[in-house]
Amino acid sequence: MTIRPFRLLVLCISLLIPAALCAVVLFLAGYAGQAISFNGLHFLWDETWNLGDLYSDPVTVNGYTLPMGAEYGVLAFIVGTLSSSGLAILIAVPLSVGAAIFLAEAVPVLESRARQKLSWLPPIRPVLAMLVELVAVVPSVVFGLWGIAVLVPFIGHYISPTGNGYGLLATAIVLALMITPIIASTLYDALLQVPKENRESAFALGSTHFEVVSKAMMPMVRSTLAGGIVLALGRALGETMAVLMVSGGGLNMLPTSLFSPISTIASFIVSQLDSAESDPTSMSVKALAEIAFVLFVITLAVNIAAKLLSSGALNVRSRKA
Amino acid sequence: MSAVAKLESRSAQEVRRVALSVAGWGLCALALLGVIFPLLDIVGVVAGHGIAALSFELFTQTTTGPANGLANAIEGTFVITLFAMLIAVPVGVGAGIHLSEYGKNRLGSAIRFMSDTLTGTPSIVLGYFSYIVFITALGWGFSLLAAAITIAILIIPYLARITELALQQVPNPMREAAYALGATDGVVVFKVVLPAASGAVITGGLLGLAISVGETAPLIYTAGWSDQMWTGRFTQSPLAYLTYVIWTFINQPDEHSHQLAYAAAFLVMLVVLAINVGVRLMVKRTKFS
Amino acid sequence: MKLTKLLRNGAAALAIATAAGFAAPAHAATVSLVETGSSLLYPLFNLWVASYTTAHTDVSITTTSTGSGAGIAQSIQGLVQIGASDAYLSDAIVKAHPDMMSIPLGISSQMINYNLPGITNLRLSGPVLAGIYTGKITNWNDPAIAALNPGVTLPNHVIVPIHRIDGSGDTFIFSQYLAFSDANWASTEHFGTSISWPAVTGGIGANGNPGMVTALKNNPYGIAYIGISFADQVKAANLGEAELLNKAGKFVLPTAKTISAAAQSVASTTPADERISMVFAPGADAYPIVNYEYAIVKADQPDAATAKAIREFLSWCVQGGNVPTYLDKVHFMALPDAVKTLSVAQINKIK
Repeated sequence: MTIRPFRLLVLCISLLIPAALCAVVLFLAGYAGQAISFNGLHFLWDETWNLGDLYSDPVTVNGYTLPMGAEYGVLAFIVGTLSSSGLAILIAVPLSVGAAIFLAEAVPVLESRARQKLSWLPPIRPVLAMLVELVAVVPSVVFGLWGIAVLVPFIGHYISPTGNGYGLLATAIVLALMITPIIASTLYDALLQVPKENRESAFALGSTHFEVVSKAMMPMVRSTLAGGIVLALGRALGETMAVLMVSGGGLNMLPTSLFSPISTIASFIVSQLDSAESDPTSMSVKALAEIAFVLFVITLAVNIAAKLLSSGALNVRSRKA
Repeated sequence: MSAVAKLESRSAQEVRRVALSVAGWGLCALALLGVIFPLLDIVGVVAGHGIAALSFELFTQTTTGPANGLANAIEGTFVITLFAMLIAVPVGVGAGIHLSEYGKNRLGSAIRFMSDTLTGTPSIVLGYFSYIVFITALGWGFSLLAAAITIAILIIPYLARITELALQQVPNPMREAAYALGATDGVVVFKVVLPAASGAVITGGLLGLAISVGETAPLIYTAGWSDQMWTGRFTQSPLAYLTYVIWTFINQPDEHSHQLAYAAAFLVMLVVLAINVGVRLMVKRTKFS
Repeated sequence: MKLTKLLRNGAAALAIATAAGFAAPAHAATVSLVETGSSLLYPLFNLWVASYTTAHTDVSITTTSTGSGAGIAQSIQGLVQIGASDAYLSDAIVKAHPDMMSIPLGISSQMINYNLPGITNLRLSGPVLAGIYTGKITNWNDPAIAALNPGVTLPNHVIVPIHRIDGSGDTFIFSQYLAFSDANWASTEHFGTSISWPAVTGGIGANGNPGMVTALKNNPYGIAYIGISFADQVKAANLGEAELLNKAGKFVLPTAKTISAAAQSVASTTPADERISMVFAPGADAYPIVNYEYAIVKADQPDAATAKAIREFLSWCVQGGNVPTYLDKVHFMALPDAVKTLSVAQINKIK
């Protein structure tokens, strides 16, 4: 076996990726260590996040030095994260399924009909498909800007009973818009790959075009769709800026209605780091590192699930084709 | 196919099926509108306010408090992106070469998995990591280097993935022919495989660039903010960037700050959309995600 | 592959251009300082810096609005040279970082603002505010509010209390007012730049003073505590300003008279390290939420040039800059002379 320098070089380069990931995980976990052992599992189901009295002398609890009255519970943020992302999925799935179906199946028909009369017509479907994909590249902070300028006042004026537009609903809508293209383009690609024979045999049975799509094609792409949804969920869970700008920054309480202010784990990290830094015992910064670690674990689990689902989907499709 | 033609000769049950189908199509059309309309509205709102706020001073003056121009932020975003790309491109493309050419084994799958995990890691988690390590532990302070490395970590997995996919499209006989002529590994990759896939690799780089221009969360605690142009230093010197203007100035209560926020949003959107539209027109319908 | 070449050359050219040209605009000889923190001090710093740097071209100063928590934290870490804070440093921080100083630059106060259509003369007290922010008083027509406001028709509507989510000196002085005037708040909550806000249905968190104004504007029936330097924006947004019950039992608005009454009552007792609260001060006319605005600065700077630049700038702020020309625009008051002397003594320790 000879040493091949070029291969060794690119191998070393590619090992930087696992190295970076391990560094992130190890530093977060290591830095959070003291907080993890101090908080124990209470961290996950305690609703109260309290930096404690930073103006009185620090106290020692069970051998840990921390500000008086400090208590670190993240249940409210976990619930805020899951409820806003979950609601976003509920809004995004029907939107993106409808959009993908229309784009894949109806637009070509409409387009060819229109072209009979207007032969100069440029291709429409690629343009529409591109518009859908472009939604995905709009920066998070621009979504937040739009949320503050358009969505929050709208919800406040027309929907919310208290007149408050910030909160769970605004967050969920912004998140839904951000993840719709992920689900829609996954489904759109899958629909285009359904074999011709399957479609045609369904037509031969006398189905309407819509029935062909809903009863013959959709079941075939179901697991791909599920993979896309879970992938989108992963993205929604980690969104920061847009959420920070429209969520209302609720603290210490679980959302009780669509208009409750919430905080998500990601947005809370941004808004709290500064306050935490002024804690002389630095326990709060460590507790924040622990939250970041929890967020990492949640998104990791979701992304693994997405991977399993979509690799399962490939097998099904190749068997049928 | 035509709903009307079918309606003429069918029974009541048929009519119901067709009606359902028409309703279904209607809902699907609405859904498509529902997806595209917000994009158009965002572009409309941002462009409407943003263009109105554009002026010559925006590009020549630096920010003073929430006033004057955006020259420092424009330069900062440019410099951060440039150095992030200088780090990310060699690493991302190198990793992509390894994965595509020599990565068909368990180590390759492991790297691929870790890379996907890194892609899925929320950017704020990366930002927090950088804050703990670069800013406080290593004592770099808010700085270009910390910001560029953080953004690079964010883009590298994308670049690796796109490079790998692109190189895999290159037919194997080309590699075999080159090896048969006595070419070494490096020559095969750089003279044969990479050139054949260069369009797609460049695309990947451009998409990475777009991501970098639009990011905010990982920069808040790494780049800081500065009213001045870049000092030319890599550490101990905070840097302005456009997305910061968007998220802080929109919360200032006066009209002038809002104008700056919209102008910054317009510039960011312009770059991001131009790159993405350009790339999609250049390479017809290739999936990168 | 013309495109490849073009892009490659383009990238190389850009890299060279950047390395060569972009760094140029910064003058080599200048000292650059960064100020961050209190969004209340931010507008004043913008006025000061603009004026100071035109006269002193060898210094450049960046101002940023983050929050007092950031100002304290980042100046301790040496990430910025001047931290701006509405709150003085805690004993624990001073003990851990003995070279950190709290230097008053001016006197500020805080408004309690409300968004109540048709009402412009609301009166509130510490205990009532504590009730609102702990969720014990949830409706505007609550008897406790009505008792303070005879003759005012209060709406039957849920109150939307708005608080800061970032670390904030406004939160610090607001929670001090509640803690000093309401025994209940003092025993259950404490005061600080970051409060673990009790769960109040519908309570909203906002970012910075600007965020508070925007959130209050967007939320009819809301109430918020906002730094006095945002008085013009509050007025422009048509929001109400509450009269507050002071220690002497009088309802007062933040005016030049009531603020200096509070300042005078504390000036003589201000210690050498100037860490003292002016909240709920004695005095018949004293407005209850008044405070020193602090620069949080490290005494030991990494190099002499930086130390000199900070010293000169801050000295100017408490002397030449401590005049109505700047202060009036943000509704701040000048420091009493005795306090100026103390501040200058602290500034001279910066080495």
